[in-house]
Amino acid sequence: MAEVVLDKVNKRYENGFHAVQDLDLVVADGEFLVLVGPSGCGKTTALRMVAGLEDISSGVLKIGDRVVNTLSPKDRDIAMVFQSYALYPHMTVADNIAYGLNLRKMEKDEIKRRVAKAADMLELGPLLDRKPKQLSGGQRQRVAMGRAIVREPQVFLMDEPLSNLDAKLRVQMRAEIAQVQQDLDVTTIYVTHDQIEAMTMGDRVAVMKAGVLQQVGSPQHLYEHPDTIFVAGFIGSPPMNMGLARVEQRDGGHTLRLGSTTLPVSDALLAEHPALTAYAGRDVAVGIRSEDMDDASVYRGEPGARLPVTVTLTEALGSEIMVHFNVDAAKVVTEDTKLLEKDAGTTDMPVHDTQGPKFVASFSPRSRVRPGADLEVAIDTDRLHLFDPSTGAAIRA
Amino acid sequence: MAEITSSPAALAHPGPDEPHPAQVVQLGSAKGGWFRQVGWRHLVGCVALVFSLFPILFVLSAALNPVGTLSSAQLIPTGASLTNFEELFTETQYPRWFFNTMLIGLLSSAASMFISAAAAYAFSRFRFRGRRPALLAILLVQMFPALLAIVVLYLMFTTITEYYPAIGFNTPWALILIYLGGALGVNTWLMKGFFDTIPKDLDESAKVDGATHAQIFFGIILPLVRPILAVTALLGFIATVSDVMLANIFLTDPESKTVAIGLYGLVAAGRARETNFGVFAAGAIITAIPTVVLFQILQRYIVGGITAGAVKG
Repeated sequence: MAEVVLDKVNKRYENGFHAVQDLDLVVADGEFLVLVGPSGCGKTTALRMVAGLEDISSGVLKIGDRVVNTLSPKDRDIAMVFQSYALYPHMTVADNIAYGLNLRKMEKDEIKRRVAKAADMLELGPLLDRKPKQLSGGQRQRVAMGRAIVREPQVFLMDEPLSNLDAKLRVQMRAEIAQVQQDLDVTTIYVTHDQIEAMTMGDRVAVMKAGVLQQVGSPQHLYEHPDTIFVAGFIGSPPMNMGLARVEQRDGGHTLRLGSTTLPVSDALLAEHPALTAYAGRDVAVGIRSEDMDDASVYRGEPGARLPVTVTLTEALGSEIMVHFNVDAAKVVTEDTKLLEKDAGTTDMPVHDTQGPKFVASFSPRSRVRPGADLEVAIDTDRLHLFDPSTGAAIRA
Repeated sequence: MAEITSSPAALAHPGPDEPHPAQVVQLGSAKGGWFRQVGWRHLVGCVALVFSLFPILFVLSAALNPVGTLSSAQLIPTGASLTNFEELFTETQYPRWFFNTMLIGLLSSAASMFISAAAAYAFSRFRFRGRRPALLAILLVQMFPALLAIVVLYLMFTTITEYYPAIGFNTPWALILIYLGGALGVNTWLMKGFFDTIPKDLDESAKVDGATHAQIFFGIILPLVRPILAVTALLGFIATVSDVMLANIFLTDPESKTVAIGLYGLVAAGRARETNFGVFAAGAIITAIPTVVLFQILQRYIVGGITAGAVKG
């Protein structure tokens, strides 16, 4: 077990592509760190550099106390789980798991013991004599895990290990991997493009964009205090709702003018974002999480603001109702939002070009909302997120 | 095949104690369908079989025909005897030729298979300066048949024979060397294409597991490319065994001849119609045996490879 330190690590390909830029990251001993970001953000490259499958152009990579920049993968004491599992098709499950140990000329009894232990842990016992092609996707995934576990390495590296599984199995394996990692207490770096995996599995999550690390923190911290519009839009499902609002100064207080609605800036909000005063008379990007909005008619307490809307679509999920509507404010358009839209376009969020930004609110199931209804949405204005629309950075102190 | 055909046939011919004649009529129409769906394939198969077996039958009959001239050859010989085989082993140096052929064929096909696999592995897995030019050069060079280089090869080996007679004319080694070079191009390309289909993740996984390049090559890659190894080995063996042109130039000693030129010498004396084709045919049949055996051994891998690729995952 060891910590992994990346100090100003860069990857520049021969064709000039700068895949990873000045990556600073410390993964603590026994920590489960998730690297997340849209495809092409450099997360897999970063992982492959840690594994030693990719050269490091500049910077220092340390595993434990050793600088491993030029060490070959086998000398780094790491184990990797590949997206494709990369099982050796001509070997049985047992041989697959034992391959790394056999190469290290370990004693036969010890190999047997370790394979049995790993098989026990992953419930692979009855499958040990089979070949990979006789296994289902989930079983293959387990074998790939087993191959990493038996090595008892200092660091686990996982490259989107669940992306080839169907949705149901993915949820199950997600919990299983997290459990195995917890039991073994091995430092783990896990790469995924799925923010739900990142949120549910990681002790900490590192969000990357275009080769640059955006923010590192606990999943909850990232969710509640995103540093940039990109992180705000990437972490959380549905993504954070965002619109342009004008900061207005009135009688010593501030308000945010979001389309035709005025959102008061409470003292609590201002205390958290004191720098907002400097934006008086200018536009800021206002972010509202879906759960910070509710049907005003069933809202308990006094809402900070009421937003009159026309509902376009409702999705009842039982525990909550997702309500879609358009807001008459201007859309926030930055590099980040373009990238997010592109990323979402490849998954399941169609982006309609309507007059205003499209918001999704999570109403409590007590609401009797129907599509097409005109109603007021209560907004918890203490929990607004504020960003500079030109730089995309959060407005704080 | 038998299983597929037998079940509709059984349906089409219900037993005589079949209680429902109406059903028999219905099944009778299914009988016509049997020929349209399955039967015609048998017909095509039979025609193809006759077509390909005819020359073999002819050679077999010639080998058994004690008279043994081309003019007296018939498909059904007038009398059968093994005199031709006897003559082959007593009057000619056939055993010697056979040994030479096997030595050259097995060694050169095995060695060229290995060299090509090593080259293909490098071209498929490593990225190095000059990789593309080298691949193109191989492709271009192999387009010219070895025949074109015969004069050059002859001159080269004249000198080599002077200094190193052990690998010069009239030794199997000279021929093996030339065959190695001749087959390298095609085999490398053929294999590289196959190597490229094996995911690179496997190499990397083995690398992380602690394998060296050699361990990856022998332990992971080679077992997975068995089908293409079998194909190249088989093609190489057949090509060397049946080669007359190069062998004829390099092996002139009766001692060092291969079967192909040895047998050719028996009938090429110019009086083709009177020569004893029986002995020639007997030699040809014996020579065919190793190829058939080799094919039987390797067939498992070739077919196995085809089906393994057909099923996804």
